[in-house]
Amino acid sequence: MSQFLQAAAYGLVQGGLLALVAVGFSLVWGIMNVVNLSHGALAVTGAYLAWQLNVHFGIDPFLAIPVVAICMFGFGYVLQRGLINLVVNAPIFLTLLLTFGLGLVILNLLQLLYTADDRSIDTSYASQSFAISTVNIPYGRLGASLVAVAVTVLLALVMTRTRLGRAIGATGMDRGAARLMGIRARHVYAITFGISAALAGIAGTMIATVGSFNPTSTPSQLTLDAFVISVLGGLGNMYGALVGGLVLGVAESLGGLLLTGTWVNAIAMAVLIVTLVIRPTGLIGKAQYSGRVEV
Amino acid sequence: MIARQAAAGPAILEVRNLSKRFGGLWALREVSFSVGEGQILGIIGPNGAGKSTLINLITGHLRPTSGEVLVDGKDITGARPWVIAHDRVARTFQIVKPFRGLTVRENVAIGAMNGSDPDSSVGDALATADRLLVLVGIEHLADAAPSQLSVADARRLELAKALACRPRLLLVDEVMAGLRHQEIDAAVELIHRLRDGGITIVVVEHVMKAIVSISDHVLVLHHGTVLAEGPPREVLADQRVVEAYLGHRYARRRSP
Amino acid sequence: MTTAAPNAGGAAAILERHRHGRQERLAAWLRSRTLANSWQWLAGLVIFIVMLGLQQVMDPGTQRLLTSVFLFVALAQGWNIIGGYTGYASFGQVVFFGLGAYTVAVLMNNYHVSFWASMPVAILVGVAFAVAIGIPLLRLRGHYFAIATLGAAEGSREVINNMTPVTGGGLGITIPTFGAQAPTAYFGKPGFYLAFLIVAAGAVLIAAVLSRSRFGYAMVAVHQDEDAAAGVGINTTRVKVVAFAVSAAIVACAGGLYAFQQIEFYPTDVFDANFTVLMVIMVVIGGSGSVLGPLVGAVGLELLAQFLRVNLGTYNQLIFGAIIVVVVVFFPQGVVNFFRDAWRTRQFSLLDNVRRYRL
Repeated sequence: MSQFLQAAAYGLVQGGLLALVAVGFSLVWGIMNVVNLSHGALAVTGAYLAWQLNVHFGIDPFLAIPVVAICMFGFGYVLQRGLINLVVNAPIFLTLLLTFGLGLVILNLLQLLYTADDRSIDTSYASQSFAISTVNIPYGRLGASLVAVAVTVLLALVMTRTRLGRAIGATGMDRGAARLMGIRARHVYAITFGISAALAGIAGTMIATVGSFNPTSTPSQLTLDAFVISVLGGLGNMYGALVGGLVLGVAESLGGLLLTGTWVNAIAMAVLIVTLVIRPTGLIGKAQYSGRVEV
Repeated sequence: MIARQAAAGPAILEVRNLSKRFGGLWALREVSFSVGEGQILGIIGPNGAGKSTLINLITGHLRPTSGEVLVDGKDITGARPWVIAHDRVARTFQIVKPFRGLTVRENVAIGAMNGSDPDSSVGDALATADRLLVLVGIEHLADAAPSQLSVADARRLELAKALACRPRLLLVDEVMAGLRHQEIDAAVELIHRLRDGGITIVVVEHVMKAIVSISDHVLVLHHGTVLAEGPPREVLADQRVVEAYLGHRYARRRSP
Repeated sequence: MTTAAPNAGGAAAILERHRHGRQERLAAWLRSRTLANSWQWLAGLVIFIVMLGLQQVMDPGTQRLLTSVFLFVALAQGWNIIGGYTGYASFGQVVFFGLGAYTVAVLMNNYHVSFWASMPVAILVGVAFAVAIGIPLLRLRGHYFAIATLGAAEGSREVINNMTPVTGGGLGITIPTFGAQAPTAYFGKPGFYLAFLIVAAGAVLIAAVLSRSRFGYAMVAVHQDEDAAAGVGINTTRVKVVAFAVSAAIVACAGGLYAFQQIEFYPTDVFDANFTVLMVIMVVIGGSGSVLGPLVGAVGLELLAQFLRVNLGTYNQLIFGAIIVVVVVFFPQGVVNFFRDAWRTRQFSLLDNVRRYRL
């Protein structure tokens, strides 16, 4: 029983971390109808940024978050405005290919700069944990989960309470109408992508803190996780991504208890497919933009 | 309300208590009517009355919540659209849906290849398409791309595509909208020619002048139910119909 | 405004299908077989014969290069059928490659079945799986279909990875090729050159025949407007599933041959998502929706990839990624289509092309 609880608790905090990876991905997919296959690469870029700050300036990763976020936001804005914007109106497989190629370029550049070695940010506290009765909760992941929740809430507030947020939402629902109302769609899209990149960067920072990362396998793993969670939680739904992440985290953790080997991955894929077939708008959350009209 | 049988042949289309609900909204409620062979039935009604929904239900693009649709006595309720097309029912779409990457001729040929009694080769289908393009009057545009067509010509293409399926029953969805006077006259003439060629036609329309000149029988839909039906002039003079279209006050002013 | 009015009987007459006699149809077919219509088939035949003949004078390096070109020609044509013509961009097509490969490997290794008997089974497995997952998944559109197929591919790899007693799991599988152990003698480089050439030619042939047939038109109709297609009598479900199955058959066939060529491999080798990406990028670069496009794309890209691998070593993935980005930006409709349109309209501006899809 205590094993079960331990797995569940671990799954929850791990899930918070996964949710952080997915929120940005879901945002871009929901608002811009772009599936950003370079999302994982962007996250790993953020991880390297935080790692550099830590190694060269001794900055604690949690404190580095604002710096990473701002840098990645700028990077994302420029990427969207200069590159991804060029295929926004194209058939989907073109944007998939473009972002895939972009991801390849980014992760290969990282590999050239930093080699393919695993890296991580070592802090004194991340691997320690505190205990609630028989359950151990690691500080690092707990911190990451709290960051995830905070960021999601912040994002949701921005989307609903600020002018910018509502402009983003409107553009996501009906780009043509939004433009007719004076919203500069290109700028809005670029900001959205910038936010997504910033979120990816923050996620990368957290991943570096609680575990290790490298430029070869981590990006694709993260992107795939982001897929599954976005589908579970509904596209463009912030809270859905949070809940979806938690569910996936717990499911994978419990799955690891009960099943051996990589059956867990196969189950995740099966869940993905079943969700898509039964309720493509999201199993847990509801897609915000399913009634989209494209102009 | 069951329609009075017009003098023409046996019923080709029979709709019984057809209803469709979208969530909490009844788009169509207990609609019943029948159309005899060789007749032209006009369906009119204000926007949102459920006219396009009715066509979608008959052709299988939507599944009814309840009720039945029978074509030639055969129950086709809820069947897939292609099955119904093979039962010799064809329709045009209100917002025209051409196959954009293909030429006008190829667009029509697709109907000829896949409708009821299809042509067995691509070559035959293209030849059929050519003949149909002559019938509707756009054979000079056979090699053009659909995007280059004017509104009136695009509507003719829609008709030709539908005709390529060799239907006995043709449902025409607001084909006159946005046409100029001469174009409307030409369209009316075309529909008469089709009927004379043996096709039963159901015309959903807004343009009153066209409805009056085409239809043997008119059905008025309002808020998803049949408001009135009968010969065109009678229906259009009906108080309730005037009220539905023009409002309560206007109707009161016109009443004797 | 209208042209001549045909008589009232015209409508009825037109609606009756002309029933041609068999003789009449044969005569019409023969008449249409002019050089203008047939030059593509002739060109294809010539290229095939040339490829056969050149084999005698080729050095082993070039043979190996062309063998892999042929593999990708087949894969690209296969993807094009479901992704280009029918418009359902599958991002997991590699699953059929892997299934074909493992079927051949398992049959030859575990049950000593000859290669010639294993191949048809591999193709059948591909088709069966395509029908099985196609029926639920082809109801999805766009991104959802792409991701669902990707999920299917990833999931299948995991399943194969875990079926260790049968497939060797993560330890890989080996096809016996020596002496009495081998169910079929290994073909050797020249043999595989020929085999892959035949598979590639077969794929191109299937694509060419299909695209000109009624089924080909149906695929395009489903792609352009599924509702309208259904309305004119096309059984859209059947068209999609059949296209998916044909695509799967071609890819599985290639996979089975690949397995025999490689002799030993791991699940990650044959369920590699990079294969799918390569398939897609080749079709996109070349131009989807035609037979020539994927052919050009496959040949061009594979030659380029080999060149990069040989000359640029460590940088090759980086350059590859950059090339993908550049091509998608400058030739979104594909090189072949770009030149076709440009030739027709005399507008060769690349810059205009870049603006095509931007916001």
